[in-house]
Parts: sequence; C-alpha cells; structure tokens
Amino acid sequence: MSTTPTAGDLPEDAGHRLEELGEGLFTSDLSVNEFLLVKEAGFHPLGFVMGSSIYHTGVQLRKFSTSQELTKLTEAMYHARELAMTRMEEEADQLGADGIVGVRLDVNYYEWGSDAAEFIAMGTAVKSEDGESYRNAKGKPFTSDLSGQDFWTLMQTGHVPRGLVMGTCVYHIAHRGLGQALGSMGQNVELPNFTQALYEARELAMTRMQDEATELEATGIVGVRLEEKTHQWGSHTIEFLAIGTAVERTGEAVTLPRPTTIISLDN
Amino acid sequence: MTAEPPDAPVPTAAGEAAAGEADVPREAAARLATRSSASALSIPDLAACLEAGLEPVGLVQGFCAMQWAFYGAGSPYLRSASPLSGLPRGAYSEQWACPHGFVSAEHRMWGQNYEQPWVEAAWAQGFGSAFQRMLEEAGDAGAHGVIGVVDTARHLADMNVVEFHVLGTAVVVRDAPPPPGERPWSTYLAGMRLTKLLEAGMMPVSVVAAMVSVRVWASCVTEYLSEGQAYGWGTAGTAEIEQVSRARAAARSLARQRIRDQLGADELHGARAGLDSRELGQGDEVVECTLRGTRVRRFKHVDPLPAPRPTVRLG
Repeated sequence: MSTTPTAGDLPEDAGHRLEELGEGLFTSDLSVNEFLLVKEAGFHPLGFVMGSSIYHTGVQLRKFSTSQELTKLTEAMYHARELAMTRMEEEADQLGADGIVGVRLDVNYYEWGSDAAEFIAMGTAVKSEDGESYRNAKGKPFTSDLSGQDFWTLMQTGHVPRGLVMGTCVYHIAHRGLGQALGSMGQNVELPNFTQALYEARELAMTRMQDEATELEATGIVGVRLEEKTHQWGSHTIEFLAIGTAVERTGEAVTLPRPTTIISLDN
Repeated sequence: MTAEPPDAPVPTAAGEAAAGEADVPREAAARLATRSSASALSIPDLAACLEAGLEPVGLVQGFCAMQWAFYGAGSPYLRSASPLSGLPRGAYSEQWACPHGFVSAEHRMWGQNYEQPWVEAAWAQGFGSAFQRMLEEAGDAGAHGVIGVVDTARHLADMNVVEFHVLGTAVVVRDAPPPPGERPWSTYLAGMRLTKLLEAGMMPVSVVAAMVSVRVWASCVTEYLSEGQAYGWGTAGTAEIEQVSRARAAARSLARQRIRDQLGADELHGARAGLDSRELGQGDEVVECTLRGTRVRRFKHVDPLPAPRPTVRLG
C-alpha cells in the first residue's frame, strides 16, 4: 500500500470478497429496522465495506509553558483517518455504490505497536434503486455516519448526505508556572489564557470540518460531535475532533408527515 | 412560532454579568462566516425543528476555564481564625453538638453543615461567561434563538482548572424579520420536546441554571453512622444519618429557590436536577446540587392537543 491513497491499493482478499458481493449477495451491518428504512428511502445495500490504516504517529516537541497546536500530530491524525476513509470509499466504488451509510470511524491501539494506531472506517455501501446518481461533488460515493432511521428521516426533509466531514486539531495545553499558580492562589478566577487556547483548538477543528463540507458543496452539517481524546500523549496533549455529516438541500418540498403526539408503552 | 419573546425583558442566567462583551475569539467569527453551517442536532431533532419553522444557522459555543481552589475552607465557626474571614455567609448553616459528654482528641465535639457561596459564585461566573459567549456567537450568526443547549463542566488536564462548555444550535425563525439586535432566546429543548412545548402554547425564553454547594463537617454521630457503627449504648448502627440528609435536602431546596428567583412571572420546563457528592474524610463531604431547565412563557392559549395514540416501538 502507498501512503497516499490511490486507486487499486486494496488488499487482494478484499478484491475476492468484493467480487462475490458483485454476484448478488449482499452483506451489511444494518439492523432489520435500518434495512427496511434504507429500502423505504429507495436504496439497496450492496455490501459491508471497510478501510484501514496502521499509522505511526511520531513525536513532536512541545514547550512546557506554551499552549500551541502540534501541527505534525494534527496532520498525522488527519492523514491516517483520510487513508482509512479513502480505502473504504474505494471498496464502495468497486461495488458501484452511490454512498455508504452507518460509517463508524474507530482508532485502536495494540500492545505490539508503540506509538502506532490502527484507524478503521466501516459502513454499508448502498445504491439508489431509481438509477439516479447520489455521488457527491467529487464524483465519489457519499459517506455518512447516519443510521438507517436517520438516513430515511433526512431524505424526507428534502436533504441528501454529501459526505462524512471532520476536522481535527492536536493541541498542547501549557503547564502553569509556579509564579502563575502563586499569583492566583486561593482564588476562583477565570484563566483567560486557558479559555482562549481551548477555544482556538476547538474552533480550528470545527473550521476544518466546515471547510471539508464547503468543498463538497454542502449547505449544512448535521449531527456534529465534538470529541476529545488524549490517546497516548498524556493529559496535557488533547486531540479535538469535530465530525458530522455534510448535507445538501435538494429543493424538494419537505414530505415528512406532521408529528403526532404519542404515549409510548415501553420505556 | 414568533421570532422573539413577547415583551422583552429577557432573564439572566446565573453570573452572566461576569462575562465581558464581544470576547468571542476571531476563529469563531471566521467559522460562522463560512457558507456551510453546522448543527449538533440529531436527524430527528433536525426534522422536528424544520417542521416547527426553525432553520439551523450554525453550531455555537462558549468556554470558560476557571481556576478551582479552596474547596471546603471558610467555616463560619472558624471565621475569626481563618484568612478567609471576608468570605460571604450563605443562606444555610447548621451545627450538631456531641451527645456523648466526654472529651477526647480523637472524638469530634461538633459537626456542621454550611453553604459555600464562594464556590457557587465561581460556578456562576464560569457557566455565565461560557453561556454569554455562546449567545454572542448566536447573535453574530443573526440567530433568533439557540436550541438543544448542552452544558458541561470538567476538570482539565490534572490541574486545578475547571472548564465550562456551553454548546447549542443557533436557529432563525422562518419568514420572521431579522432579530432586532436583542439577546437570542435559548433552550435545552430540541426536536420533539420543543415541538410539544410550542404546541402547548409555550415558548422558550432562556436557559436557567443554578448550583448550590454545601460543606459537611461530620459530627461524631455522623462519623460513626457512616462507618456502619452504633453511636451510643442501646442504639442501632442502622439509622438515618440526619446531618447528611439535611445537607442534601438543603442543597436541593436552595437550588430550587435560586431558580425561582430567575423565573420572574414565567415557568420552568424540563427541569433536571443533579446531585454530586465528594467525600473528603470519614463522613466529611461536599454536596453539590445543580438544577437546570428552560424558562418558558405562554404566547397563546392552550389549544386542546390531539388525543395521544398509544404505541409500542419495535426497536
């Protein structure tokens, strides 16, 4: 495999599996309800697709008392996820899919790989049953982390998914010096430098996510999640990840029936 | 739904006055100016929001990192000997005397509960600043209101720093004139729950929240009972721990009172009360009650709702 995702860098075994899926059998990780609603939305599942990348994240020096973005680590986390996503899209492309629903993006660490992590993207490739193409502005199958239920509901609101978009920022939070700690000892006060640093880190992640959506010519992003992980870097180095599904309004009238007040008989 | 609350005085969330004007960072303004808007709404919430005539315009948020120090200091009974003698006195304080009638270095002669207004003031400043910054972002985005508000407070990176984070989705009311530059309304509700509120003739005015902190210095009886022991001849080891019960009841009661003070003539909807306690020693603890909800105002008479239809979900 190359470090830059290119067509045809999938493992040989993936090719055999995809050939079998092309013969009519489909696999998916959809629940029965999700399957029914994906069908109801006018799509047919083609197969379970995935992409993976084992990535060595390296080391970047950080200043003890300075809050700063660690650009090398940011690039590494971005690139590793992009590799996994691109390989998953490649599998879907081989199946002739219009999109991938229920995408999960995980990071796993193993004892055998110091500073190495496996980035995995998985989902179910789907194809429109009416023959209309739902590929995004880049000509690739759309990706989305929506469940089958959410996918159906979104389509009823006159929107279509365009891609799973994300932005990341790995940030080092400064340690407080002795002078600073003594200066505010015994007080409950705002620490403006910390507020500003964390604000900036999350805004950078969210701006990058929105830039990805703009590239896909999306009009909005739904279900945005802001995740924070320290991975294996210690408590002062945090990855801020913003992730959501970019959507585009189709201009069609909203067809969702008016909600009805119900009393649920289960919990 | 109307674009702004009827008659305007909009309530204040705790401590918002602490936040300065226009202190939203440049990065946030740049993000909100981009073409694609983000929302933290789930798809069902988005669908219900569109159905109610609300269009999301952006994910908005505010932060405040606070130094968090001196938990448990400032006993009103040690005030004269304490460097914290200038600390404000709370609305609740109680003392328990030892019933055993003997003196020992290892035996607690008294116990006390008291409210810690200085901790509550720090919480109010952190929450209020983050909340105000979120509203500033919403105002910059031209929003009428903010729905689906979520607030968190967590300790940061093993330091004595607590970060307050308030997040929500800014919305405009479809076909309504632009907001007149007033403060956007806000609510913890979104989706189905917000739609039901509007159907019931109520509209959100503002998120309201309050935190009450009570310190418990255990008396000898409390200490023994919390260890599962009897505290005197002829007594059983199983009994109500009165001092702890009263601390928790006081925290809940004061939190309700603080919220009532913020409501004016309006009502509270979707109240959520959380009670946390941190043990500081045998029987000693800090009890914190956080109460949050949405201040709502009636904007039309109740239309009879359609008869609810009983349903059983298949999954």
